[in-house]
Amino acid sequence: MSATVIGVLGVALLLVLIFARVPIAIALSASGLIGYAALDGWPTALKMFGIVPFQLASAYSLSVVPLFILMGAVAARANMATELFQAANGVFSGVRGALANATIGSCALFGAICGSSIATAATFSRVAIPEMRRHGYDSAFAAGAVASAGTLDVLIPPSVLLAIYAIVAEQSLPKLYAAAFVPGFVLAALYVLAVYAVAWVRPDWVPKVPAMRVIERLRASVGMWKLGVLFLFAVVGIYLGWFSPTEAAAVAAFVAVVIGLGSGAMGWRGLLDAFFETVCTTAALFFIVVGAFIFSRFIVLTQVPHEIARWALAAELNPAWILLAVTALYVILGTFLDEVSTILITVPVTLPLILGIGYDGMWFGIFVTVMCTIGLVSPPTGMTVFVIQAQHPEIPVASIYRGTLPFLAADFVLVGMLIALPGMVSWLPNLLKL
Amino acid sequence: MNRWRPRAVALCGALAGTALAAMMLLTVADVVLRAVINRPIRGMFELVELLLACTFFLALPAAFLRDDHIVVDVVDYVAPRRVPVLRRLAELVAIVIIAVMAWQGWKTAQGTLIFNDVTADLEIPKILYWVPVLVGLIGGGIAAAVMAVRPGSERSRVERAVADAPGQGRSGPGR
Repeated sequence: MSATVIGVLGVALLLVLIFARVPIAIALSASGLIGYAALDGWPTALKMFGIVPFQLASAYSLSVVPLFILMGAVAARANMATELFQAANGVFSGVRGALANATIGSCALFGAICGSSIATAATFSRVAIPEMRRHGYDSAFAAGAVASAGTLDVLIPPSVLLAIYAIVAEQSLPKLYAAAFVPGFVLAALYVLAVYAVAWVRPDWVPKVPAMRVIERLRASVGMWKLGVLFLFAVVGIYLGWFSPTEAAAVAAFVAVVIGLGSGAMGWRGLLDAFFETVCTTAALFFIVVGAFIFSRFIVLTQVPHEIARWALAAELNPAWILLAVTALYVILGTFLDEVSTILITVPVTLPLILGIGYDGMWFGIFVTVMCTIGLVSPPTGMTVFVIQAQHPEIPVASIYRGTLPFLAADFVLVGMLIALPGMVSWLPNLLKL
Repeated sequence: MNRWRPRAVALCGALAGTALAAMMLLTVADVVLRAVINRPIRGMFELVELLLACTFFLALPAAFLRDDHIVVDVVDYVAPRRVPVLRRLAELVAIVIIAVMAWQGWKTAQGTLIFNDVTADLEIPKILYWVPVLVGLIGGGIAAAVMAVRPGSERSRVERAVADAPGQGRSGPGR
């Protein structure tokens, strides 16, 4: 049996295990071990199986992940979401769609610091949806806005997902964060445009809310300072040369703890909960990373990624078709797979293909991350949609999906822009000479 | 079993959380010392790597005991009657895989012990890095076995996310 056939069978085994409810980390490890053994014998496969967890457990570059997750867990408990929503409301107040746009702006900033789409959606579902409904917004549209805006965190720095991509694709994290800035804020702007478009077509869905007084706006905008400080340490500090990414994550997590406890917004119980949540999330995430590295060792051994890239080049396929196929792959995977697993499983295979048609690893990181934002709201398993529905059972799931459609269109506009204008990714890293 | 499970989860969380806190505080101290008196902490990389291994692996049994691992549950909607059987099979696969991982890790760790490998800067015995890895894997295997024989059903990822969101009550080990 050829290595390529064994590679295909390994992928098939992985999919069977995943659909049979085997935890993704275990499915990756099992199919990687069996596939590796089929190619190189059991003694070598078992040796590799024992050493990979140890190598990854002590990989310094991974230390950024638990520290950024801790910062987000603390920020989520320190009441920063409500303050940010009020501040963003002050910024947009007086225009039609102000509350929806305040939701998008605050989700983008809060999500960037929090780092979890599910936590962002769960938090703003309680903060923003009741407020929008109270002012006469259409329930489905309000829920759709939160579900979609909750996904912005995966793109806007400091993104945990980009940190994971940087590890698996061997890319520079500061460079990736710089690359994500423009597409991240363009996507937030496209969401704002989507709100205006909906307000224009269906003004009854997005009623105009009376403007806040100037003094109220100023008072509300003060609430932004906490996240501003965290952003300064977590992101700006890296580019000012103050910190490495790990140091930035540690300092930002520490500052979040100081702000949370110092302002009285979070007690010691909340701090312990934040640590506990962080280590459990990290352990589950890390185990997927271990499984993905075992699986990718097997895939590399099969030479399947290079075979696919070679085949695509030999067939002289138009790069547009390859991009279309890769986009379709991520849309399909997004319907049932979570974003971390999607990146860890696919990047070793798709990256060589993308490099072969002239794009670079940095561009692909942003592209694949945008595709993950689409997956988070894609039926039948759009996670942020289900989180909102669980908190607002009176809004049907189908209605929430309908509410996400304008924002889904904005996602695909960004995908088109990334393909047509790849320079939007490299512009800031080039400007910063990274 | 119901009584000691939250305690085991709390213990794993406390150990891993302590390692995470130490990693954060050491890194902050290193940054401050470097900036103020230009004297960074020696061997920071090696210390962070050791604490990282503790953070990842000591929490692994807790992740199993809390059903934190990510599962694709499409089959729940397609064939709900098959879910209990599939869940048991999945748990069996998990136990086997972790057991093999722990067994192979143990063998490699023995080699590290025999050759008395140490780190380059602080000369920390490398076997110390293996301790959390093996404790986590063996504990994870036991936790997976415990979960395989437990009665009742797990909570979905959505239910957990909603319960864990701030303001929704406790999200700690005692929940």
